[in-house]
Amino acid sequence: MTAPGALLRRAGARGVGAGEAKLLTVFGVLVLWQLLSWTGALAADVIPSPAAIGVSLLGVLGGPEFWQALGLTLLSWALGLLVSICLAVPVGLLLGASEFGYRSCRFTIDFLRTIPPVALVPLALLLYGATMQMKLVLVVLGAVWPLLLQSMYGVHQVDLVARETARSYRLGRWLRTAFVIVPSAAPFVFTGVRIAATMALLLTIGAEVIGGAPGLGAAMTLAQTASDIPRLFALVTASAVLGVLINTVLALVERRVLSWHVSQRPTHA
Amino acid sequence: MARVAATHSRVTGRLTGPLTGRLVGVAVELWLPVLLFAGWWFASLGSGSLYFVGLDVILEALRDGWLGQAGAANVLPSLRNLAEGFLLAAFAGVVLGTVLGLVRPLANAVSPIVEFLRSVPGVALLPIGLLIFGIGTEMKVSLIIYGSVWPILLNTIDGVRSVDATKQDVLRSYRVPAYLRILGVVLPSAAPRIMVGLRTSLSIAITVIVFSEMIGSTEGIGYAILQAQRNFEIPQMWAGMLALGVIGYLLNIGFRGVEQLVLRRHRAMNTTPGS
Repeated sequence: MTAPGALLRRAGARGVGAGEAKLLTVFGVLVLWQLLSWTGALAADVIPSPAAIGVSLLGVLGGPEFWQALGLTLLSWALGLLVSICLAVPVGLLLGASEFGYRSCRFTIDFLRTIPPVALVPLALLLYGATMQMKLVLVVLGAVWPLLLQSMYGVHQVDLVARETARSYRLGRWLRTAFVIVPSAAPFVFTGVRIAATMALLLTIGAEVIGGAPGLGAAMTLAQTASDIPRLFALVTASAVLGVLINTVLALVERRVLSWHVSQRPTHA
Repeated sequence: MARVAATHSRVTGRLTGPLTGRLVGVAVELWLPVLLFAGWWFASLGSGSLYFVGLDVILEALRDGWLGQAGAANVLPSLRNLAEGFLLAAFAGVVLGTVLGLVRPLANAVSPIVEFLRSVPGVALLPIGLLIFGIGTEMKVSLIIYGSVWPILLNTIDGVRSVDATKQDVLRSYRVPAYLRILGVVLPSAAPRIMVGLRTSLSIAITVIVFSEMIGSTEGIGYAILQAQRNFEIPQMWAGMLALGVIGYLLNIGFRGVEQLVLRRHRAMNTTPGS
């Protein structure tokens, strides 16, 4: 019962033209940008041409400083995320498992969650200076809340029938946790991980820009103060690619978990 | 054990009447914040630490520096920029999202660009924003728009696409004009998704405004807090952080109120039996 128009549109979206349309659009935008730069509509000292950015990007990628900065940024991102997961997921699962715990902590976590983590930049700077620790503290303080909330929701949302079934089959506490609670909470936890990962990258780079801790953000501030505009844009491009990569990898991992979850679902629905 | 607690609260709710049940509910929600606050108060009482000052001192600084005239001078510029940026982002996100949601080939063609721009961490744009606009309102507002438009845009696209196909066909066969179709059917059914996007964007916008005030500004909450830290006015710094937390919380509560108002019609429509 689908309208022919909708069918056509879907065919258009999935057909051979889809990938080419994407490429053409990207190419078109880049050409337009380059033309605007050539004609002087975009001042080169404010927004450089894509060719200039590309050349600068090649130079940046060729030097050791970039890879060092990238390594530092990635290291504090990964460490911060890992610490947050280890802290928040078990606590969230435990709190979500008890109605009393869930309702007691809801308000507190909701309040703490709304405090923008950047509010803590001054305190972290005061305590640790422009160091890796400062970045880690900020990342953990920002990434811990979505993980905590999602884990709590995940356990809280476990299907009542599944739970009662497990109980009537006298599955022990461990079996119940392993085969009922963890599988149905997993998608929620993963959503939390995805949110936390984006948050952690934002905070890592933010801490480097504001606090001057070594990493990609500090490299950007350096390029800006040196008025090396193409380099600044090249670094921002690199950080965007980093964001795309992180999103893609997490989406891939999640799809694995999700496929297993969907196949799990119909058996007890 | 979880079951015991759950049944227990349910039983007390039933046996002792609705009022007492509600009171118990409120008590369950409130005991932890009260305990934490009291714990902070007593643990920090007469604290000799340079960095972790007593809560009484912080509250005093909060009263002196963040309420009344002085507080308004710090808070109002931030709120004004926040409102301006957030509303512009909401408008742009919903309009563009509706267009992209309705015209699939266009959405498909620009998807790599959207995906790339979305992945630029908002803070990474601070140096560029400073370069283009210098220190000032324009820089902050444009950074807020850039940072917070993506969740609204993507959620609007999804919401617009998930409009019931039968409904769309009926509208088309009755030759309902496009603007009526969009305003009367497409946007209302996309509203829940749009609200989800707006809520995500609000917290991003708050983060971005504080960030940009810390770097490129001479006014606002972020500026005041960082300035207090640089001058080693530690109670003022703590008071500012506390004030920011309260403001963030109030904004979220306010948004939840708006959300409920907007979605009331939607709920009424969708809770009819059988749906």
